[in-house]
Amino acid sequence: MSVAKASAPFPLILLALFPFALTAALSLPSSADDASTDQFARASQRVDQFLDQAQQHAGLQPAGESSDAEFCRRVWLDLAGVAPPVWSLRSFLADQRTDKRDRLIASLLDSPRFATHMANRWNEFLLPADSTNDRQIDSAELHRWLRKQFLANTPYDHVVGGFLTAGGKSDRGPAIFYTSRNLEPVKLASATSRLFLGVQLECAQCHPHPFARWMQDDFWSFAAFFSQLELVDTRMAGGQAIADRPGREVTFPDSDRVMAPRYPGAAEPPEPDPQDFRRRQLTIWLASRNNPYFARAAANRVWAHLFGRGLVDPVDAMDDDNPPSHPELLQYLADYFVEERFDLKSLYGMLARTKAYGRSSAVVSDRRPPPSSFAAMNVKTLSAAQFFDSLQQNVLLGSFGPAGGNPDRIAMVRQEFVTRMRSAGTSPTEYPHGVVQALGMMNGPEMLAATAEPQSGLIASLDAPFFSDRERIETLFLACLSRPPSDDEQARFDDYLKNARSNQTRAARLSDLTWILLNTAECFVCP
Amino acid sequence: MLPSPQPNRRLAAAVSIGGALGFSRWMSSIATAASEAAQQDQRHCVILWMSGGPSQLDTFDMKPDHANGGTFKEIATNVPGIRFSEHLPKLAQQADQLAIVRSMATKEGDHERGTKVMRTGHPIGGPVNYPAIGCSLSKSLKNPQSKLPGYVTVAPGPFARDSTSPGFLGPKFAATSVSVSGPPSGDQFAQLRVDHLQPHAGVGPARHNERLALWRSMQDSFLKTRATENVVAQDTVYQSALDMLGSNAKDAFDLSAESDKVRQAYGRGTFGQGCLMARRLIERGVPLVEVTLGDGLGWDTHANNFEQVKQLSQQLDAGWSTLMSELDEIGLLEKTTILWAGEFGRTPTINSNGGRDHFPQAFTCVLAGGGVAGGQTYGKTSDNGMEVTDGKVNQQDLLATLCAALGVNPKQENIGEGGRPIAIAEGNLIEQVLR
Repeated sequence: MSVAKASAPFPLILLALFPFALTAALSLPSSADDASTDQFARASQRVDQFLDQAQQHAGLQPAGESSDAEFCRRVWLDLAGVAPPVWSLRSFLADQRTDKRDRLIASLLDSPRFATHMANRWNEFLLPADSTNDRQIDSAELHRWLRKQFLANTPYDHVVGGFLTAGGKSDRGPAIFYTSRNLEPVKLASATSRLFLGVQLECAQCHPHPFARWMQDDFWSFAAFFSQLELVDTRMAGGQAIADRPGREVTFPDSDRVMAPRYPGAAEPPEPDPQDFRRRQLTIWLASRNNPYFARAAANRVWAHLFGRGLVDPVDAMDDDNPPSHPELLQYLADYFVEERFDLKSLYGMLARTKAYGRSSAVVSDRRPPPSSFAAMNVKTLSAAQFFDSLQQNVLLGSFGPAGGNPDRIAMVRQEFVTRMRSAGTSPTEYPHGVVQALGMMNGPEMLAATAEPQSGLIASLDAPFFSDRERIETLFLACLSRPPSDDEQARFDDYLKNARSNQTRAARLSDLTWILLNTAECFVCP
Repeated sequence: MLPSPQPNRRLAAAVSIGGALGFSRWMSSIATAASEAAQQDQRHCVILWMSGGPSQLDTFDMKPDHANGGTFKEIATNVPGIRFSEHLPKLAQQADQLAIVRSMATKEGDHERGTKVMRTGHPIGGPVNYPAIGCSLSKSLKNPQSKLPGYVTVAPGPFARDSTSPGFLGPKFAATSVSVSGPPSGDQFAQLRVDHLQPHAGVGPARHNERLALWRSMQDSFLKTRATENVVAQDTVYQSALDMLGSNAKDAFDLSAESDKVRQAYGRGTFGQGCLMARRLIERGVPLVEVTLGDGLGWDTHANNFEQVKQLSQQLDAGWSTLMSELDEIGLLEKTTILWAGEFGRTPTINSNGGRDHFPQAFTCVLAGGGVAGGQTYGKTSDNGMEVTDGKVNQQDLLATLCAALGVNPKQENIGEGGRPIAIAEGNLIEQVLR
C-alpha cells in the first residue's frame, strides 16, 4: 500500500478531478481484454475512488490513517481470528519498512490461521442458529472440510459447488448442513438462497416475495432441487453422510402439484442431468459466473467481514428495496471476483490493501460519519471465539488451572464460553449481549483463569523480578488491547501497582489490572 | 431492537419538564413520582412450567365417572361446580382466581418439539428463529427502574436452551438462569443459585471498587473517540450488571432472608423455593419469572402415573397457592398474571404400566391472577377425555391471551431477521377468560 502511495501515478490525479470521465472511459471496451486488464489493475485504488467520490458527494470528512498498532490488531483479528501475539505486534511496530502493512496482510493470508478462522466463520454461517451441541462430531467434520478448502485456497465457486454436491461417506464434511435441517427441502432452499445468493427466498414460501421479483413458484421449484436427499448412516465411523435418490418430489402447498426443479427467475427448466442428480443441476447454475447473484453475494459478504457491514446490509437481504450503499462498487467487486476466478485470498488481500481499510476507527464522537459511508473504519464486536482465542493466546498462555495446558479442559472451557456468548446472526456493529453475559465476562471461569495469580500465565511471567513496572504495564496493554499505553494510562496504571494495600502482593495488583483491561469495551472489539 | 417505549414515557416527560424549568429539586421530585407511578403500572408474568407434560385428568380436568379417570378423587373448590384433584386442596380454595382452559390442542407430541411450540408459539426449525414468549414479554414489560434482570428462570428443564431462547431478539433478552446447587437432601431447603453473581474469591468489595474506578476511566477515554453503537451498548450493559452487583437488588436471590415458616409454606423442593424466589423478584419489579416443576421431565409419567402425579401435585399445590396468597397480601396479584402449562397433556387411557403417555390433542392450561377472569372453566373435553368438544384453542391463542391479560398487545411487532416485523403472538384471544 505504502509503495503504491509513494509512486502515485499521474492518472490518479486526473481521476480525482474528473472521476466520471474516467469511469466512462473505462467502460468503453476498446478491446475486451485490455479493458478488463485496465479495469482490474490497481483494484485497491479503484475501490478507494468509489468510496471517495461518494464521501465527497456527501461532504464527509474521512478519518485519518490508523496507527500501526490499530492496523495490526485489526488485520490479525480479521484475517487470523485472534489478536496479534505480543512478540509479533512488537516486531511489527519496530519494523521500519514502508511496505510492512502489505507484508503483514500477505503473510496472514498465507498462514493456516486464516483457513482456521474462515472455517470458524463459515461453520457458524452454515449451521442453523438454533442448532444444539449434540452434533459436535458432524460439526467438527464440517469444520475440517472447510478448513481444507480454505487452506488450499480452492476457488469459491468450487468450494460452494463441492459443498452443494457433497455426498457419500468419503465426502461427508458438509453433511451436517443437510442433517441439521432434517434434509427438508424447504429449509435447505431457504438456507442456500440466503448464504449463496444473498436473498431470502423463503419469504416467497407462503406468498409472493414482498420486495423482490420472486414468486411462490420460484421458491417451491428451487426447493425441488433438494427433494432427493436421504441419510446414509455412518455412525460407526463417527458421522453422517447424505445421498441423493431419484423419486421423491416436492409439491406445492395444499395441492398435489409436483414442482419441477427450476432456477429462480428462469422460464425454462434446467438442462437434464444424466443421473437426474438434482443438486448437481442446481450447482451448475448457482455457483457460476452466469448467476448474477452469486458473485455479488460473495463479494458483499467479504466486504462485510472486513468493514463491519455489507455494501448491502444485512448481507442476506439483497432485495430491490434494500439497495447497496455503493452500487457501482459492489458491481465492481463482483466483477473483480469473477475476473480473479473466485480467488478468495486475492479479494481479501485487495480489500485489505485499500486506504479505506487502513483508516482509523477513532473519530471525535459528534463527527462520526455514518457507518455505511465507510469514511471511518467501523468498530466490530468480536465473536466469542475471537475473544476466547485471543485471551488464551495472550493471557492464559496455554496454561489453564491446575491441569496446566490440558487441551481437553481448554476445549471444554472454550465450548462453554462460546455457547454462553453465542450470538449467531447478529451484525458485528452491534453488541448483542445482555446482563447475563456481562456477569459471565466479569465473574466467569475463563476470567478467573485469566486473572487468578496462580493460573494466569501472563501474570506469572510478568511477576518475574527483572521487569520494571513500566515494562509490565506495557506488556499488559500489548497483550490485552494490542497497543502500548498512553502516557496518561501508564501513569494511572503505575499508581495502581504502587498503591497496593498492605496485605496485597504485586501479582494481585497485576491481576486487577488484567481484569480491568479484559473487561473494557476496547478489548471486546476490533478497532 | 427498539426499546419498549411504553413504561418510560412518563419519566421522560417529567425529566424534560424539569430540565426546561431548571429547578433541579422539582425535577427530582417529579422524576421520583414518575418512577413510583411507573412502578405502580409495572405488570408481571409468572410462568409455571410443568416439564414432561402434566396429566390433565389427574389435576384440573377430572373424569371420575369414566374408566379413564384413574384413582384420584375429586374435591370441591371455592367456586361451585368447579372440581379439582384431591391433591390440590390449597389451590381449590383459590379457584376463584383461576381460569381453567380445558380445550388446548396442538400438533406436537414430542417433548422437544412440544416445548418449542408451547414456548414460542411456533414449530421447531422454521426459517424464522422465534423468541420464547418469556423473552418477548420481558421485553414488552421491561422495567426501566429495576436493577434486576428482566427475565429470570428457576431450574429450567432439559430443553431450556431452545425454549427460553431469545431468538431474533438477540442475547440481551436471554433469561437469567437460577440453578439448583446440589441435590435437595433430607429436610434441607433446595439451594438455588445464580451463576456468576459473585466476584472471584479474594476480590472483596474494596478491591472490586478499586478495579471499577480504573476500569471506568478506561471506558470513558475509549468512548471519546469510539462512541459507536456496539461500544456504547457494551458500556451500558456492563453498567447495568455492575449496578445490580452493587445494589441490594441481588438480595432477591437470597432466600435465607426469609423465615423458615415462610420457606416451609412454599415447600422445601426446588419448585416451592423457586416460587418463593418468584415472589421476591416480583416485589423488586422483575417483569418475568419462570419456575419449572419436574426436575428433568418429571411429569412424563409413562409408568406409575398416580404415585408420581400425587407427589408433583403436592409440590405444585404448596408453591403455587402460597405464591398467590402472598402476592395478594402485598397487592401484587392484581398486577401479576400466571400461566400454568406443560408441553402437552397425557393420554386419557391408562397404559399397562399404570402410566399415561403423550397427548397433545386435548389438554389443560391454566391462567390466573391479573387480567384473568378467575373462577371459571373454558372449553370442554369429551366424557372419555379423548377429544375437545367445545372451545378448541391452540398455543397461539393461549399466548395471545396471556399477552392480553398482561396488557401487552399480542400484535405488537418486533423486528425479525432481515428486517421483517413479527407479531408476538398471532392467535385469537380467548375473550371469556380475560377481564
